[in-house]
Amino acid sequence: MSLATLQNDFQSLVLDPECRSADWVADSKHGLGSKQRLAIYHNAYRIRLTEVLRDTFEHTASYIGDEWFERLAGSYVQANTSEHSNIGLYGQAFPEHLAQVLKHDQEVAELAHLDWTLRRAFDGSNADVITREALEKLAAEGVSIEKFSPVPTLKLCLHHFNTLDIWHAINQEEVPPQVVALDEPMHVMTWRKGYSPHFRSVSAVEYAAINYLCEGCDLEAIGEALSLGFPGADIVNEFGLMIARWLDDEILTA
Amino acid sequence: MTFSFGLGLRTQHYHDFLEKSQPVDWLEVISDNYMVDGGKPLVMLDKIRADYPMVMHGVSMSIGAIKGVDPEYLRKLKKLEQRIQPMWLSDHLCWTGVHGRNLHDLLPLPFSEEALQVVTRNVNQVQEYLQRPLVLENVSSYVEFQESEMTEWEFLTEVCQRTGCQLLLDINNIYVSSFNHGFDASEFINGVPVGSVKQFHLAGHQNNGDHIIDTHDHPVCKDVWTLYKEALQRFGFIPTMIERDDNIPELEELLAELGQARTIADEVFSQKVAV
Repeated sequence: MSLATLQNDFQSLVLDPECRSADWVADSKHGLGSKQRLAIYHNAYRIRLTEVLRDTFEHTASYIGDEWFERLAGSYVQANTSEHSNIGLYGQAFPEHLAQVLKHDQEVAELAHLDWTLRRAFDGSNADVITREALEKLAAEGVSIEKFSPVPTLKLCLHHFNTLDIWHAINQEEVPPQVVALDEPMHVMTWRKGYSPHFRSVSAVEYAAINYLCEGCDLEAIGEALSLGFPGADIVNEFGLMIARWLDDEILTA
Repeated sequence: MTFSFGLGLRTQHYHDFLEKSQPVDWLEVISDNYMVDGGKPLVMLDKIRADYPMVMHGVSMSIGAIKGVDPEYLRKLKKLEQRIQPMWLSDHLCWTGVHGRNLHDLLPLPFSEEALQVVTRNVNQVQEYLQRPLVLENVSSYVEFQESEMTEWEFLTEVCQRTGCQLLLDINNIYVSSFNHGFDASEFINGVPVGSVKQFHLAGHQNNGDHIIDTHDHPVCKDVWTLYKEALQRFGFIPTMIERDDNIPELEELLAELGQARTIADEVFSQKVAV
């Protein structure tokens, strides 16, 4: 048997739902039989990937409980192989899996998505953040910045449930509130500030402004677009406050 | 040969290493944990690296994969290697998956001429790319293959001779595999050429009676300490570290275990001097 065939068959055996014996395993003169030996690799694969899901989706696991999480992780592991050398990236499609499987409990997928984006923000790319002090110093030197970029860890998503309240309660080891469907979907921003992932809700105006920022618009263009998009709002004042908050949140780079 | 003792750097101990100088000569970092874009892991790495020499140890190179080592993985590894400037860089003599999939396990190879040729090709490619010798670790295994044509130590010896790479001998892995497959661990130690070993790993395991699982979640057991002494007697003073990956205790406990390694090495050394 060639090495290619052996590696292919070994991998298939590990990935198959049921462990089986293989004729390429040497008869053991000692200890376990060959199928039990292969079962060690078969089991270890599932345990390892379930552990990494539990670690990545810590709040989701706490919310739904060990038994349920174990079952959902098990079905995900059986349906999804890892194609990353970094095992931490294995759970990328887990929120979507939960959304498919738990059609009547969509807040679980939303919570999992929040867990995922916060984890990715943790070791996402660095950027030279512009602070309020740095901006004031530049202004004093007569340098004005007309265009900012968002930090690379910044992501926007839409929540339909009180998922942020659920996450906060779990994070503080409190009983999470009953799930409530929101009257209007809520925009949520996640990013990393310093070493720590952060999130907060954003208004419709701020959501639009961040989207323009992500598209590469300069400040003047963003202000104009917001004035057109939200004619009833005091955009000059609101946009000014927004930029000040973005500086405090450390989401802006030059 | 450097007479030195190290520990695997784990996130639980970042604070201990940043707070004050700890009695270790170097730290081993899991390369894959730092092959990330940014954030706290790399900041901590840089801060601790400023005070401690480091060696890099990977788990996903898949040096035994028939298709070869993933170039993107190598690119990221080299970037990290340039950042850390490690004393040496190691991974495992195993494969982790084929057809673009990663099983995230250290899967054993058959000890065959074909596997030797694949490993030789891959090691040469990696060494050429990294411009430094690779250090390869023997893995614990639970199966043996019909295709094997030689012993594990003969295979390791051949890999070293054909590529010029060196070995990270995991003493616990030798013990685990010898128990699981019924070979003599001392024969393994004595079958590896003196001069080919760069580093020792010492770790714990879970003994299930009729087989042992390499869990790295227990202290080093008595039999592994005995085997370590044998290895020191054969190979001389090889840099040694305690490797704990799960059920990670306070740093003091690992330092005490490392102290046990120092004591054994001192005993062997003083005996050799006396002779």
